[in-house]
Parts: sequence; structure tokens; C-alpha cells
Amino acid sequence: MLLPELEYIRPATVAEAIDALAAERNARVLAGGQTLLNALKLRIVHPAALVDVSRLEELRQVAEEPDGTLRLGAALTYDELAGNALVRERHAVTAAMTSRIVDRQVRARGTLGGNVCLGDPTSNFPPLLVALDARLVVQGPAGTREIAAEQFYLAPYMTALEPGELLTEVLLPPLADGEAVGYESLQVGIDSWALARASALVRVQSRDGNGSGTITAARVALGCGPVPVRQPAMEAALIGGPATRDAIAAAAKLAGEAFDPPADVHATAQYRTAMARVMARRAVISAATTKEA
Amino acid sequence: MSATRIETWQSPATRPASVGQSIPRKEDGRLLKGQGQFADDVWMHRMGHVHFVRSPYAHAEIVDVDVSKALAVEGVYATLTGEEVRQLTDRYTQIAPEPGGRAKDFAMAVGKVRYQGEPVAAVLAESRELARDAAALVEVEYARLPHVLEAVQAADDESPRVHTEMGSNVGWHGVYDFGDVDWAIERADHVVRIPRLHFHRFSSTPLECNAAVVNWDPGTGTIQIDSNNQMPQFAALFMAPALGVRSDQLMFRSQDIGGAFGLKLTSYTYLTALALLSRKAGRPAKWTEYRHEHLIGSCHGNERTFLDIEVPVMADGEILGFKANAFDDVGAFMRYEPLGGVIFSQVLPGCYRFKHLQVDYKSVVTNKTPVGPNRGYSRLQHLWLVERIVDLVAAELRFDPVELRKRNYIRRDEFPYTTPNGCVYDSGDYHAMLDRALELVDAPRWRAAQQAAEGTGKRIGIGIGSTLDSGTSNFGQARIINKNLPFSGNGEAAICKIDLQGEISVALGTVPQGQSHETTTAQVVADVLGVTPGEVLVRPGADSARNAYVAFSGTYASQFAVTGIGAALGAAERVKADLLTVAAAVLESTPDELLLVGGTVSVEGDEDRALTFAEIANYVYANQGALPPEVADAVTLNHRHVYRAPFGVPDWKSKSGSLTLTYASQIHVCVVEIDEETGQTRILDYSAVDECGTPINPQVVEGQVHGAAAHGIAAALQETLDYDEDGQLLNGTFWDYHVVSCPDTPMFKTDNLPCPSPFTPTGSKGMGEGGGAPLHAVCSALQDALRDTGAVVTDSHNPTERVWRLLNGDERAADGGRGIAVTSR
Amino acid sequence: MSDSAHPIEVVVNGERHESVVLGRQLLVHYLRETLGLKGTHIGCDSGNCGACTVIVDGKAVKSCMQLAAQADGREIETVESLSEPLGPPDRLQASFTRHHALQCGYCTPGMLMSATALLREQEAPGEDEIRRGLKGNVCRCTGYVNIVRAVQDVAGTLPEDYDGHTA
Repeated sequence: MLLPELEYIRPATVAEAIDALAAERNARVLAGGQTLLNALKLRIVHPAALVDVSRLEELRQVAEEPDGTLRLGAALTYDELAGNALVRERHAVTAAMTSRIVDRQVRARGTLGGNVCLGDPTSNFPPLLVALDARLVVQGPAGTREIAAEQFYLAPYMTALEPGELLTEVLLPPLADGEAVGYESLQVGIDSWALARASALVRVQSRDGNGSGTITAARVALGCGPVPVRQPAMEAALIGGPATRDAIAAAAKLAGEAFDPPADVHATAQYRTAMARVMARRAVISAATTKEA
Repeated sequence: MSATRIETWQSPATRPASVGQSIPRKEDGRLLKGQGQFADDVWMHRMGHVHFVRSPYAHAEIVDVDVSKALAVEGVYATLTGEEVRQLTDRYTQIAPEPGGRAKDFAMAVGKVRYQGEPVAAVLAESRELARDAAALVEVEYARLPHVLEAVQAADDESPRVHTEMGSNVGWHGVYDFGDVDWAIERADHVVRIPRLHFHRFSSTPLECNAAVVNWDPGTGTIQIDSNNQMPQFAALFMAPALGVRSDQLMFRSQDIGGAFGLKLTSYTYLTALALLSRKAGRPAKWTEYRHEHLIGSCHGNERTFLDIEVPVMADGEILGFKANAFDDVGAFMRYEPLGGVIFSQVLPGCYRFKHLQVDYKSVVTNKTPVGPNRGYSRLQHLWLVERIVDLVAAELRFDPVELRKRNYIRRDEFPYTTPNGCVYDSGDYHAMLDRALELVDAPRWRAAQQAAEGTGKRIGIGIGSTLDSGTSNFGQARIINKNLPFSGNGEAAICKIDLQGEISVALGTVPQGQSHETTTAQVVADVLGVTPGEVLVRPGADSARNAYVAFSGTYASQFAVTGIGAALGAAERVKADLLTVAAAVLESTPDELLLVGGTVSVEGDEDRALTFAEIANYVYANQGALPPEVADAVTLNHRHVYRAPFGVPDWKSKSGSLTLTYASQIHVCVVEIDEETGQTRILDYSAVDECGTPINPQVVEGQVHGAAAHGIAAALQETLDYDEDGQLLNGTFWDYHVVSCPDTPMFKTDNLPCPSPFTPTGSKGMGEGGGAPLHAVCSALQDALRDTGAVVTDSHNPTERVWRLLNGDERAADGGRGIAVTSR
Repeated sequence: MSDSAHPIEVVVNGERHESVVLGRQLLVHYLRETLGLKGTHIGCDSGNCGACTVIVDGKAVKSCMQLAAQADGREIETVESLSEPLGPPDRLQASFTRHHALQCGYCTPGMLMSATALLREQEAPGEDEIRRGLKGNVCRCTGYVNIVRAVQDVAGTLPEDYDGHTA
């Protein structure tokens, strides 16, 4: 299919990109283009210009802060993320999830920033970033600000990005002692369309080899709803409880809070909610029984 | 029916026998190097590009179409509206008799739109981008009409009419009634009643969409059509009268086609519109369908709902037959329909010895995309019904599904077997095939695993799909749906020639789309002429000017190995006779003393007396004076042969007769694992045992088996075409239409147990479509996995959510019951 | 709105091309229509089917999901680069023939490019890795079985008891 007429702009620096976005109010940021180009082909978005940030070296770095926070450039491709030694070492679940996004061609082009900013309910990263309490660094004409992932998603395809702003980095806080991450998806076919996703960050104290111990912290986020949502009731039920399958299963019955998933050709809302609970439970179990944490 | 083997096939002792070998394909060289020529690869000087404006509504009156803004754009060459189409063409001939035949069917919507995606106007412009941009400026005013989307409802007289002139949405209605099913129900020990089964709508979606460049040359009147239509002469039968042109003005051409599966058969509507645009603009008109257009605006496979199924069963497991009411949803236009209304009856009793059969069949129009004959056409829907019946009988009456099948399968010693409706199954051994299929997956191992899985959150199920792939249709069956159609028999044409310097070539009437005809034809012809397949050039693709054809030439209905090969074989035999005639004259010998070996004709036992094909060709083409006049006048080295399948005319009154020549069969066994929490279904093991007579190229046969198996699995678990309440297709791209990918499919375990057909030239049977065996096998395996839950698999499409609902008891019949009842005496 | 024009310089199959492309032009159309490299196909328009797969700077990508302007300065390999037009097939192409890994041939160029990239990146991918590696390429004819076998053959990971069938 063919795109509408548009202007293509390839700035050389982030500053130039910000200028280009400021100059043309109806401009869109183009990174990997693995979703945006489809939207353009279907002519459901009508930008006058595309600002291609995919080559900006400033957006393609992985750096570690002294406190262990990872700074991930927004234009890193999935391949680059999944293959990055620091990411693999510090956030193995994130790396593994990233290495299974859609297919190799998409992973070669698609970017972290694109996935984050699209705000597609089925996207891989949003529930993960909410569970990890990631922060998003955005730059605009007014300067730089940080937004918590949890605050970033307002509605499907709507984020807290203001016009003219560009996501530059994703900050992943380090995992504390005893913390581990779980990520689970239910998909149509292998690595295809997602019906339900959940991610969990769980801290277990006096963990033994069988994964038992006490859960002292938990952040659980569901994906595939309008926006990724934390599950405070489930989290509260987990915290202070034993890290056993039964206890986690009992807590997971409380998942689905403020979830409100869509009903569409892929699944009903009822099924999505039920599956979100299953994925939430599995994600927590997976995190709580990770031995490396 | 008489057996008609071509006797000459049997003999030559010197034959190096290429047939039966898995030789590498001749097609592959160009396709692997990106040198194939597909329809979108054709570019012509001065051509314009077409974009269609399509209906956003399922059913609406077209109040006004205003193309003026589009026409005003610089670079727009022409536009076309439905009203112009109505003025410039006659409505298409319909296969359906009245009332379906009364439908006004044109290349674009005339007066009203009948499905979302129906073309309403078209723009021809200098670039594809511009055509699309300008098409967005076409203004169409609609007045919405109430629509109908479901066949059973549409058949109700109170429903909105899709075609007012039909007076009903039932385009065709026929009752197939053989034996005495009511008597059987009366005397049976058990009667199993199934209120409703539903076979869903899907499409095998060839990877290449429709595409064409059409050039109406005003000087000669030639309408050159470079396209990927898969049955050009059939298209010409519709297009020529509609356009008011001679059928030989329509010059079809193609080389490589990127898959078709029956779905590129009815593209003649688009080709007609392109012809009109080309004439109007005085330049070639090119159109390449977008995938979205293919999904909403080409055609889909038939959706069928079966109601009030009753199955009489004896205590020993003998199933006496069944009765059912079938509502076939053909979408907005009949077109190829109601052929499905007779084609299913080729396999009326499936693989079984059922004696009492009654199917009340209605072809029903709805406000959805029209259907086309998708792989396994009309038989797979019916065979799915038959297999569901057998499985549900087994489940309800606690028979072993394997034993129940074996109890009722037609037996090897009963072939040729005449079905209650007069079809003759040529050969087969279903019992042995089922045993082999079970052996390939090591069924006892899975039964043990099934036990072991209990209580683990996983369920394992083993299912069977036994099907027929009936091939080489008797077109006389069209009379069963429309007694006035002057069709009968079936055939195919081919030309074989030897050129100036002894080069052998063959041109086929078939229009293959991946079925390896170049290779298998070369194998057969090479064997006749005593050369290697590498020496036989088989010209790819269609070419109305070059190739021989009959009206039903093409690649469809699993018939090439009979008709296409029969034609090539016959043509090669004629060329061989010429070679022998010339050689006998020149070598002063007689044809029966001569041998064909390695491109040379020599006298047996005196090999020095020999002529190469090149030398013989030289006599015929350039040195005729040196031949005796009676020989020179008799030989051409260039022969057209038409293979004629041995058919008579079926009886339209009783709806019986020999409808197809061959019955390839497939028995598949599928092992699934269900995750109880999610309903997610994984295929753990899969075997496919095929029987298609004598395989010409076993590797090619196996490839077809794999492809058909993948299509069926895809449909059973992932692929569906669904509409919302407004009649909007919900799967309009490959994001929503979940085509199976490489990790989704299993490593099929295959075997082939040949039972040569007594009715065909080489003992081969047509194959390739498959009978939808994976749909049956997957549903059967799901049923087995759910065996203690009371769930009944009533739909051919079972995505994770439906499986989950089955597990949770949500998929109940309307009355809240299980939707199945057994009455026992 | 207006289309912007962009000078680009690309190396395609070893040959340098300087062209001017429109902002909205897709790489696949540049390859097929401007350069006439018609081995690269379009099957779905939406980045799902992979028929348009080419290798850009060593990575398999879908050329319908990238602007031509974005290819500026890149090195592109298409199916036409795998072997000489009139020469023998390369190892993978030969294996595809041997295993009957193509029928209609429409997906084949994209499939070959994905598999080529996979085989360069991984030493000896097994069945699962190949299946995942080819996830972005749809084939509607073969059911994938013979494609996987053909790639395994080149990778040297065919099962030892493989006899040309799948049993």
C-alpha cells in the first residue's frame, strides 16, 4: 500500500530533531517505522512530515548510572537491546522478552522508543516498564523532563508526550537484592498477536531453592487493556505473604482491577480479563521462583 | 463406467522411467533467483494505474457518484463508475438457474452495494500513488439499507433482500435424497441428533494478490490480459458476452502465479473493469490488489451451517447414514455458485458405507464478500460434517473412534465402489491408511500421555480426519443445479511439438500456481519420447495464442495428474508416431522395429541405422522433398491433443451419476495439547497418509500434502473471516487475519499408500486440494481432549477463547443444553 | 502537504546507485520499480508476510516497512545477489530445490533472504531456531516443512535419520 504525500526529515542531532518537531506541528517521529508505516499506509494518520530519529547516535546508547540504573536510548532496536551485554546481565527477562518480539525483521528495525510511544495496548514494553517502575526521559522545546512509565499512558495510542516532545531515553532502575521480574503473554500463534500480557516485579526475602520465602514487594502490571495498569489489590495481597504457588494464585484472583480490556475480533473482554489474571499469576510465580534473583 | 487406460502407456521396455522419481523441479531455477515473472512484474509502455473506490457499507443504495474532483487532478486518465459499467456491459451470465440466475451481476456495483468492499468506482492515473490520492476525491452518496449477514436468517422470507430481483435470498435449493433415511431413523437402535454445526468462513489467501495489466488495442480489437487469473477460458466465458466481444479477442497471458487455491478464479469482474478503463483511456490499465482489498473484495471460502442433523446408528456401530439441512453462505453474488451445491455431493457419504442420505441444501446470498472455490471447495465443508457426525456418534455412544471408522469405512475389496448417489470411488484402502497414520504418531504412546496428563492442567487429545479429494469433475454435474447448462464431461488440452533442431516442447492448457506442472509434464513426456525430463521444455503459464485449451482448462479440482497429464501424454504419443513414421521411411524400416533412446530413433538390433530427432526435424521442416510425399503430408511434429475423461451426462432429476473420475484420499491423525487455563491449543504430533494412485513425482505429491495440511490447521485454529453487526469485515489485514507462520505448524509425518486408479491414463489420481482433513482431525482431537467435560465441538474454527469456553461449559446450545441428544430403542 | 525529494546513495547487490526518491516512497518500490529488481515481492502491504525481505547492512528487514529515503548510505542485498543470473544456484538455493521447499515461488525470495541472514548469524541453527528465525516469512504453499528441512540441510542440522520424508 502507498503512503500519503509527506516530507521526510532526517536531523543530525537530537536538538535538530526537536527543532524540526517544533517547526512543523503536524510532524511525527519516525524511528523503526514498523507500526507507523502501517498507519500511514492505511491512511489513519496524516502527518505532514516524518522526523527520522533512527540514526541519532545520542539515542542509541546503553549506559549504566552509578546506582545501577540503565539508561536505554530510545532509538535502540529490539535486536540491539536483546543483544546488549549490560541489558542481558542486569535485566535478563527484558532481554529475553525483547528477543521474541514479532520476528527477526521487525527486531532489526523496531525500536524501544517506538514501542513505548505508540501506546498500542498490545505492545510488549508498556506493562513491563510499569512493573519495573521505569522512567521515561523526554525532551522538548521547553527542556527535558522525566515521566514515570505508570503515568505515561493516558488512553490507547495517547501518551503524556506533549506536541514537539521526543522520547530520548528509558531508565530502568536496578533490581534490588531478592528482586526478580516475570513477563507472560498469551498470543495467537507463536510470538504473534497478544491477547493478554502481564509483568511482575517481585521481591522475595529468605528465598530458598524451592522459591518459597516471603514476598516483601510486588508490582504487577497488566497489558492489553486500554493502558497498562498496576494491580494494587493483588500486590497488597502478595506482600507479606509466602512466595508459594497457592498464595500467589489466591492473590491473582484479585487481578483485573481497573483493567477494562476491549472486546474485538481477537477476544472478548471477559476472556481478556480472565487471561490477564492467569498471566498475572504466572508472571508472579515466574518472578518469585527465579533462582538468580 | 468403463476403464480407459491408454494402452501405449504400458509398453516401451527401454523407458528410463522418469515417472515415479522425485526429480528436482524445472520451475525452481527462475523462482529461486527472483527471475519468476508474476502479474505485478508486467509493465507496459504508457500504462496507467488503477485504484478502486469501495463501499464502506454492507448494503446501501448508491444515490450519487461524483468523480469530477478526481478527474480534475492532473495525471488522472479516466474514471469508471458502476453506472457506466451498466451502460457498457451486459450483466454476467449466471451458472445458477432462477431465482439465483436473476441476480444482476456486474463488474462494479450498479444501483446499490451489497457488501463492504464492493467496488463502486475506479480511477486510472499515471502512478499508483496518484490513483489512490485521486480515488480519495471521488464522492459517493449512499443511503443505507438493512443488511443480512447470516445464511439461516437470510433464508427467512422476512429478511432484507440482497438481490431484489431474486425475490428471496435463497439462490438455489435442492434436496439430495438417497436410500430412505426416515426408514433408517425409524429402525435404528440409536438416533443421534445434532441441532447445529457451523463451518466457518476463511480463505487460503495466496501470498500474491490479484494483479493484471489489461490493454484494449483499438487497432486490432485485441484485449491483452496479463494477469494471474487461474482459469482464463472460464473467465472468457463470462467476460466476452458481458463486454460484447468475441471470446478470441480476449488474449490471456501469464507466467508465474503466486498461489491461487481457487481464489483467483472469479477475478474476471476486475479484469472486465480494467478492460473498460483501458478502452476509455486508450492505454494499458494496471491493477495490483492490496492485501486489504484481497481480504474484503476478492472472495472467501464458503461458510456453511448445518441444522437438524439426525444420524441413525445400529447397536454394533453401523451408521446407516444421516440427514441434514445445509445453508451455504455464498456472500453477495452467486457467480461460481451454486456449483458448491452439487460438488459436495461428489463425496456425499464421505469415506463410509452409508446407505441412507438426505441433504437439503440451500445456497444463500448475504451482505458479505462473495465466495470463491477455496481449496477443498464444498467437499471439505461436507466432509467436516461427516467427520463430526462420526466423532460425535463415537463420543455419545461410547464407541472407539478408530473402531467406529473401521466398522463403517468402505472396504478395499469393494472398489470400484458406487455410492448411493451413483458416484464411483475408483480405489482406496482407508483401513490401512488409518492404521498407518496412527502408527506414524505412535498412537499408544499418546494414549498413555493422555492418561498421564490428567490433573496437570494440560489435556491431550487424539483426533482423526478421514477425507476424500475427488478430482476430475464431470461438468455434467452442473446440470444437477441447472438442467439447462450445456456442459458435460471434462478434458484438457496440450500441444507437444518437436522444433527445427529436434527440441521438444509442451504447452499446457493448465495454468499452474505452484503445482509443478512443468516438472511432472516433462517427466511423462520424456518417458514417452525416450529422453530425459531436462530435454523437454514445458512452457510456463497461460497464453491464449500459444496454448491449446478447452473451456474448463485450468488448475483446480485436483485433476492435473489425470487431465493435464492425459493431454500431454496423448500429444507426446502423436509426436512419437510422427517420429517413427519419418524414421521408418528414411531408415527403410517399419515403426514397430524402431526404438526411441536418447533423442535418437534407431532400428532395434541394428543401432547404426539411426536418426536423431534433429535429423528427423530437418526432414519435416526443411527437407520435405527428401521424404516420400505420403509421409511428408502426414507428419507435422506438432500435435494438439485433448484428453477426454470418460463421462456421460448425470441424471439431473435424481441428482445422481458419476460426478468425478478419481477419489484420492487422506487420513490424518492429530495430537493436540490444550492448556486448561487459557484454552491454548498446541499440536504435538501430526501424521498425514495420502493415497492418490501412482505418484508421478512423490516429492511434489508430498509437498501438496504439506500445504493442504497447513491450510487446514490454520483454518481450524487461527484463520477466520468475521463480520461485526454492521457487516464490516473484522479481519481486513494480515494483522487481524492470523495466517499461520513457521513456528505455528508441526513437522508433518507423511506416507503414501498408492492404490492405482483403474480409470486414468497413468493410474494417477488428481490430488492437492485435500479434503480439509486437518479441520476434521483438529476438531476430532479437541473433542477427544474434552471428552469428560460434556463439551461438543460444533464449529470448525476453534481459537483459544472458544476452546476455553468449551472447557468452561460456556459454549452451550440456545436452550442451555449440550446441543446433542441421543434416542435409543 | 507535499512530497519531499531526497537524493540517496545506496549500494545494492554490490553496485552503487545514486537516485532521488520521494519522501513517501517505500524501499520495496524503489527496488522493484526504480532499479527493476523484481525478485523482491509484496504480499501483504502490512509487514506481516516477509515476501519483501531484503538484507540491509547485514540484517534481514522488510523492505515494505522502510522508506527508500531511510536506506540512504546503506548496503542492500536482494535475492538477485545470491547467485549469478545465469550461474549455478548458491548452497541455500540448491537446498531449496533438493527439498522441494518452494511451490508457487512467490514467498521464496524473501524466505531465502531471511534464511541467508539467519545462517550468517547462527552457526548451526536447529529446527526450533530456524522456525523462529523464519517467523516473519509467510509461505502459503509448503506448510513450511520442506523450507525448514532445506535450511537445516545447509546448517548441517538435519536429523540423522532423515530420509527425505518427515516420518
